[in-house]
Amino acid sequence: MSVITNNKLKCTIALAALQQVEDPEIGLNIVDLGLVYRLDFDEPGMKIICTMTLTTQFCPMGESITNAVKQNLQVSFPDYEPLIQLTFDPPWDHTLISEAGQEFLNQL
Amino acid sequence: MFATTGHTETATTNYKAVLPFYGYAALAFLAACILLLFSAADISGHYFLPHNLAIIHTMALGWGTMVILGASHQLIPVLIEGKLYSHRLAYISFVLAATGIPLLTYGFYVFDMGRPAQWGGIGIIAAIIAYGVNLAMSMVKSKHENVHAFFVFTAAIWLLATAIVGLLLVYNFTYPLLQQSSLAYLSLHAHIGIVGWFLLLITGIGSRLIPMFLISKYNDPKKLWWIYGLINGGLLAFVFIFLYTESRLLLLIPLLALASAIFLFGIFCYRSYRQRIRKKVDEQMKVSLLSAGMMFLPMAFLVIIIALLPVSGIENTRLVIAYGFIIFFGWITAIILGMTFKTLPFIVWNKVYHRLAGKGKTPNPKELFSNIIFKWMAVAYISGFVLFSAGILLNFTWLLQTGAALLLVTAFLYNWNVIKLLMHKPVLL
Repeated sequence: MSVITNNKLKCTIALAALQQVEDPEIGLNIVDLGLVYRLDFDEPGMKIICTMTLTTQFCPMGESITNAVKQNLQVSFPDYEPLIQLTFDPPWDHTLISEAGQEFLNQL
Repeated sequence: MFATTGHTETATTNYKAVLPFYGYAALAFLAACILLLFSAADISGHYFLPHNLAIIHTMALGWGTMVILGASHQLIPVLIEGKLYSHRLAYISFVLAATGIPLLTYGFYVFDMGRPAQWGGIGIIAAIIAYGVNLAMSMVKSKHENVHAFFVFTAAIWLLATAIVGLLLVYNFTYPLLQQSSLAYLSLHAHIGIVGWFLLLITGIGSRLIPMFLISKYNDPKKLWWIYGLINGGLLAFVFIFLYTESRLLLLIPLLALASAIFLFGIFCYRSYRQRIRKKVDEQMKVSLLSAGMMFLPMAFLVIIIALLPVSGIENTRLVIAYGFIIFFGWITAIILGMTFKTLPFIVWNKVYHRLAGKGKTPNPKELFSNIIFKWMAVAYISGFVLFSAGILLNFTWLLQTGAALLLVTAFLYNWNVIKLLMHKPVLL
């Protein structure tokens, strides 16, 4: 699933930043894992709204992952306030893993 | 398009409610292995001997139950898709169990069924009630229903039943509450605990964690409901046959139900493994999968014990001891040895790094313990288990002592890695 956005250029920069965030158990970054659903840039409010999911609801690593997402977005967009919207609709499943992610998991 | 939860925080259990259980269980495993080494001669005797009872209760309660209670407090949110109702109840449960277990095992060790054992048993029952209330309230608040939550809650009810029967047996030594001696009811007490608590809980949690850690495409809730029904149906049939009939051959009926449940769980694990996305399976998962295979061993022993009953008229104590050893030092220990290092590193990682996430490169959870120590622990464990089992069956004391020494090495290496994890300080790479 490709990430939905209202600003393709900034989304590319944001996704590059989010590729630094790994799921600690799987060792794969959250973009290739398919956890990021949507990135909206609210220009008047200077906010980035990241709509994302976790591999399982109430994932014990959830808070660490969302903290890392905020931190990485903040570094790439220092003038914006990063906000996280968690969703489990649709829930994450393996079909959301990118081809690069699949290759990574096959090699592990 | 996306229905958001409306919040950004996730609801995980605080590590303070979980880590004490793990630390306590590690020490209990060490204590049980020390007792095993110094009581190897008793293993050649009857199973209803003070030292054997002390070892089995240290393993069942101090080791198996404490680590499972700790892990389940952490995993309740994942299993029931809701928050843990109360951290305070989790602390209360820990304190009561941590006080009750040594009192009870001390009572067994010196065979004093008076105050220490009685108060120990009461403490353990109170701990189980605190855990059960916490679990029930968490489920009510969650409003999500899934098969795993039913496994865990029903297992907690069986654990309470096990503890109540156990306490009755303790009191029966001092006050004749039951029609027969406590020894006559030992099998009932043991099997409610082994099947109702350990088997039901391990299959319930395992069926959630094994596909999750393997990143498997496989999911079959219908099969899990069958497993749930077969285990509970089999156990209820066992209780009825035990209490109301004389025929021990009828016990083959619940045995068949349990064997079918274990077979279905084996298929579940195998299909999860075959349909995994991540190809490499780490050592921790291999040991956990080994324990799923080990479930068949006690079943085989049980069939032989029951089949021999009409021939000899009495139980073959050596086979009964081997059966108990395989359950507590085999199946239950194997899954704990494996799953500790799949769950505890994450709890510690969350405790140490959750505020540092994204501020620099952090170690992965699996880097917080030594994989080399883990591998040596697995080698010591498998060889110790095989030698000790052979020692029981062949009645060779030197095999028992060598096996017990290797199991002590296992417990020492396990504790080493657990302490390494618990003492971990933050490092940014």
